[in-house]
Amino acid sequence: MKGTISHRESFLAHIRKQLGKDSSPSASIQRPAWMHQVQWETNGLLSKEELVEQLKKQCQRIHTRVVETTPQEAPSVLRSLMTEYGEGSVMTSGDHRFEQYGFYPMFDSLQHEGFAVTSWNAEASREENIRLAEQAAYSVVFSDYTLAESGTVVLSSHQGQGRALHFLPMMYIVCIEKSTVVPRMIQAVSVLNRSVEEGEQAKGAIHFISGPSNSADIEMNLVVGVHGPVRAVYLLIDDE
Amino acid sequence: MSMKIGEKAFKERIGEGLEDTVMRGAVSSAQERLYERRLSASEELGNWEKWRELGEEIRQHTLKHLDDYLYQLSESVSARGGHVFFAKTKEEASAYIQHVAQKKAAKKIVKSKSMVTEEIEMNQALEEIGCDVVESDLGEYILQVNDHEPPSHIVAPALHMTKEQIREVFHEKLGYEMSETPEDMTSFVRAILREKFLEADIGVTGCNFAVANTGSICLVTNEGNADLVTAIPKTHIAVMGMERIVPTMEELDVLVGLLCRSAVGQKLTSYISVVGPKGEEVDGPEEFHLVILDNGRSNILGTAFQPVLQCIRCAACINVCPVYRHVGGHSYGSIYPGPIGAVLSPLLGGYDDYQELPFASSLCAACTDACPVKIPLHELLIKHRQVIVEKEGRAPKAEMMAMKMFGMGASTPGMYQFGTKAAPVLMNRMASNGQISKGIGPLKNWTDIRDLPAPSKERFRDWFKKRQKEEQ
Repeated sequence: MKGTISHRESFLAHIRKQLGKDSSPSASIQRPAWMHQVQWETNGLLSKEELVEQLKKQCQRIHTRVVETTPQEAPSVLRSLMTEYGEGSVMTSGDHRFEQYGFYPMFDSLQHEGFAVTSWNAEASREENIRLAEQAAYSVVFSDYTLAESGTVVLSSHQGQGRALHFLPMMYIVCIEKSTVVPRMIQAVSVLNRSVEEGEQAKGAIHFISGPSNSADIEMNLVVGVHGPVRAVYLLIDDE
Repeated sequence: MSMKIGEKAFKERIGEGLEDTVMRGAVSSAQERLYERRLSASEELGNWEKWRELGEEIRQHTLKHLDDYLYQLSESVSARGGHVFFAKTKEEASAYIQHVAQKKAAKKIVKSKSMVTEEIEMNQALEEIGCDVVESDLGEYILQVNDHEPPSHIVAPALHMTKEQIREVFHEKLGYEMSETPEDMTSFVRAILREKFLEADIGVTGCNFAVANTGSICLVTNEGNADLVTAIPKTHIAVMGMERIVPTMEELDVLVGLLCRSAVGQKLTSYISVVGPKGEEVDGPEEFHLVILDNGRSNILGTAFQPVLQCIRCAACINVCPVYRHVGGHSYGSIYPGPIGAVLSPLLGGYDDYQELPFASSLCAACTDACPVKIPLHELLIKHRQVIVEKEGRAPKAEMMAMKMFGMGASTPGMYQFGTKAAPVLMNRMASNGQISKGIGPLKNWTDIRDLPAPSKERFRDWFKKRQKEEQ
């Protein structure tokens, strides 16, 4: 259902008057060709290996650990990470890639050990999903695009991935397939923008997440872990 | 809090700022750190000038077509089921937000840092109808607990406070007993605010940029507080200054990159979210309201001051300003301090309250050089001075008198010679060791904090003549 729009006409009429325009506003305004293309040129020619190196280096600066693994070993490496940081309940996104990489047997055995493993589930209520995310020690998700320059994972909300999943658990583990690594934000947003221009509905939420939550509001001292996760680990899967 | 902070006169505010040595120490070290970080981030990126030109071009284009892009934005939000309210004044904006809160029977509001909600005095409006409003940005939360102290910097609002002062505030107001380390205090706040996020009826955010063709808004933080504000409560209200808009997410890439690098020297901050009405998705707030605020901005369009609307609120100009360094944020009497505040506050708040600000500047142009979207800040300050003096006929008194006297003194060679010859004789009575530390009259304002070199016993003209002779 369409939402309401209030007081638009007089508001925009005044703007037009100030700008000295007489035409009525148009939703089909086109962007010009911009004078520079630095957003594409910066790091645009790096090879995948160079991008992965850049990603790993950047992660050191954003307090984020990168663990490299293979498609076969990804589940056991995740399990050993949980031993290292202390086992706890897990909430994953509803993502077919957990099946694809064979994570479920590991999740089953974790449950046998007494740790709840749940996933964001469109059939449960929103409140129930938020409650489970709040109780989970670990959030485990897959990145859709991974930005080498800034060490950023890009994730959109969907039926199996609510917004709060990324922000409530203390530990944030992101599985990154090497094939998703791109130079910068522009490569990711241009794909997302193209689908909108082709008529698809825009995503409810797109998150660009670069490491754990932090603040420097007290005497400019960096404190890691303010509202969201206190620790972020990227599990880098060599899928190519 | 409104845009205007406090009722004290300009000189009194400045006096307080200059006497606050703790604040001045905190401000100058923060300025240095932020300056270095910005510089190394822009050097590492390379081609900084091209990035700035691109940022400027995008901002200028969107301002030129602001009516079209706002139209497109409102259509996109509405198509996704969100509500859009165009507010001409701050009163209209806060009345609408009150109305939404009442309709939802909301009592608990959690918000992320937003200058524009300060501008419309939203917190007070919501408190008036019985709502409890909690700031979730750590710095803003500290100020809120400290009896709603105004922010002194647009990116780091509690910049002027030491950790000991913050501990004292937490101890007194919240019974905090742990240490004054930022870690302990932060984890204390985390526990309090986590509850607030979970129980809030409405989440309120500002808007770093709205994306016209998707009907989304972009929020930039390091703490992740804006994300929790938009992830948990059932209603999300976003308030945007009408000029904060980009055509598509492709331009968002350029401007967010410029913003993060210029504000804190990061390539991207930890959390950048592009959110809007949930549409057909299962998750997300049930209701989304976008309040688009004019509040004096449209009067800037089509004037010589239009470039100030290019601002992306990164505070790079504040972080290089020698005046801000000495007087601190509160001296500006506005939530927008520093060079951007000195240009913007008189435009939004009028010359009655802010006519001194354009004169509180050395016109060194460091702000203009630092601006990532190339706003000619120091030129706009000069423009303000012209308007104040020529059109409004109300230059600050001391300056009018000084200018008049200089005009008299400099208008004839005889008077000029007399003046420059007399200066050492008169002034050196106030000097010791070649420094004047106790000035009188207009000089006092300067010498209260700085020593003024005494006029040279030798005039420049005499020295130059002598030197020419020596060289011959």
